[in-house]
Amino acid sequence: MRLCSIKVFFLLTIIMRVSISEGAASSMKVSKFDLPQTIGVWTRTDLPRVINSKDIFDYMNGAGELYLSYRFDHLEVYEYKADHEKSILVELYYMKTSDDAFGLLSLDWGGERISFGGSPANTSNESQATSARALYGAGLLRIWSDDLYSRVMAFQETSAAKKAVLTLGNAIVANRKTTPKPTLLKVLPTDMGMGWKLRNDRVGYLRSHLVLNSLYYLSHQNILNLNLSTEAVTAPYDNIVKNEDFRRVQFLFVKYVDSEQAQQALDNFHKSYLPEYKKDLGTESFAQIANFFEIEDGWLGYKLYGPCIALVFECPDKETARTIIDQTRFNLIETEVDYDN
Amino acid sequence: MTIKRRQITRRDFIRGTIGATLGTSMFGVKWALGSEKDDRTSLVAVVRNKNVMNDDLVVDFKLLQQMLDQTMIEVTGAKNSRDAWSTIIKPEDKVGLVSTGHLNPTHDELVSGIKLALMDIGVPKNRIKMAQGGLRKAKDCTALISLPALKAHWLTGIGTVLKNYIMYSGNPSRYHGENSARLGEIWHLPQVKGKTKLVLVDALHPLCDKGPQPDPRYQWAYNGLIAGTDPVAVETVCLRIIEEKRLALRGEPWPLSPPPICIEAADKVYGLGTSRMGEIRIKHFGWEQDLLL
Repeated sequence: MRLCSIKVFFLLTIIMRVSISEGAASSMKVSKFDLPQTIGVWTRTDLPRVINSKDIFDYMNGAGELYLSYRFDHLEVYEYKADHEKSILVELYYMKTSDDAFGLLSLDWGGERISFGGSPANTSNESQATSARALYGAGLLRIWSDDLYSRVMAFQETSAAKKAVLTLGNAIVANRKTTPKPTLLKVLPTDMGMGWKLRNDRVGYLRSHLVLNSLYYLSHQNILNLNLSTEAVTAPYDNIVKNEDFRRVQFLFVKYVDSEQAQQALDNFHKSYLPEYKKDLGTESFAQIANFFEIEDGWLGYKLYGPCIALVFECPDKETARTIIDQTRFNLIETEVDYDN
Repeated sequence: MTIKRRQITRRDFIRGTIGATLGTSMFGVKWALGSEKDDRTSLVAVVRNKNVMNDDLVVDFKLLQQMLDQTMIEVTGAKNSRDAWSTIIKPEDKVGLVSTGHLNPTHDELVSGIKLALMDIGVPKNRIKMAQGGLRKAKDCTALISLPALKAHWLTGIGTVLKNYIMYSGNPSRYHGENSARLGEIWHLPQVKGKTKLVLVDALHPLCDKGPQPDPRYQWAYNGLIAGTDPVAVETVCLRIIEEKRLALRGEPWPLSPPPICIEAADKVYGLGTSRMGEIRIKHFGWEQDLLL
């Protein structure tokens, strides 16, 4: 009888282990990437290390928070090793949408623009930084390709390592869809008028206050109620009319799920950032009209457009703040951004 | 203790009221609160050698040992390296070396050099432990040597000295975002408090943006060691170097974002040392070019 129980216990354990393994395997959607096994003197591991949102901190400590600040699905990591060369690391970040992958690339437009065969950057006439889909610098290649953001890094940059990194980049983007940039970017005009020109190389697309703070610090708290259901673009505008009197303003545009969330976020922002300006925040007219405030670093302006909020910081005068906020309205009418709900 | 929680915004930095805001923003526990040190002068040594790494970033171990010796002499004022180590570590100490394990890690050569120096003053090899990780590792030690590598950090501005003990908290993600101001409280944990005899920053190949993930575009050969006994002062000097490098790279102001509020909080709230450059005496030795100080 006791022997029988032991046998049943072991049998159950084996069955449970098999089902758990199968479950894990089915939930781990490892992509069937056709990365070359060998490039030059480097050879890769057979299977990638697969990292999900639960164990991303084990892999990269606090850096993981960056990827969780966008809609992250999972990460696959390959390492290419060679006997007498430092390794090449391939990180493939699978995001939920193309916009999220774009957002990760948008955090830094620096580097040499790389065009892979067939990619739009190869054929486009766009000279703007934000038209790049792959950027290379000092051994690191960063790629946005549909819902994939990728980092391919040679731990030591040599001509052979650079060639290998770019070959890997080409393999990564091969046969992948080319998706458009996030629609929200269209609210950023190249020229705001009065000499204010967009710094295209500083345009950032984000969903989280942590990312916003890394681009333009506002508050350690999430005073604009940003989350994975919101999307935002931010960019500085420089005044190039008078070079001797260089000025910069920062523009931020946030789109919420609906008008109610936008209104709540604006209320929270106002209470936190402009506590000395007591207003009747509950009234619709207050939120709908543009508001301008002189604070320590210049004029701040904001306006609610349905589910969206436009904000501008550090303006030299009220007129500039008003011009920029008004220009936003014009852009919203001209573009496909839905702000009328 | 009930303290009204205030929000920290950009405007606090512009107005210079961040210290006051931090003081009233953090819910502290009594053991974690400190007071500003009476002695408000701290010494930080910066020792550099142009040749300590070659073009392939390979470290010359002998040169690094010489730099380490000089660093200890500068920090302690002792005549030689052995005397210098003896002023901070006793042979009967159980020494924990708290290095950074990955993502711009502390160079192994530096850790090896310190182990050799400690054994040279009589600390047995089996009493020198790698103490990065859980709090138990700190608890088991009588002396800690903090050995972070110099880097900017996208969540906290800088991720070097104060952040180096984050794993002792048992919940590192709790200190991301606004709570990064509270990193100083970890230094007051009973298992950690008072044990740090030296903070020695590996500034051979720092990272001035996008940390902790390595980005070679923002790494450069500074070829330095930065050390002192005041963790806040050492972090403040590290911050200045990072900021100056960012300015040099872009040719225009490029402040760390978010601002590293943990440094001022470590001074004004947790009393761990001074964050004012005017109260820090920097002793520099060696390579002058691009010192950034």
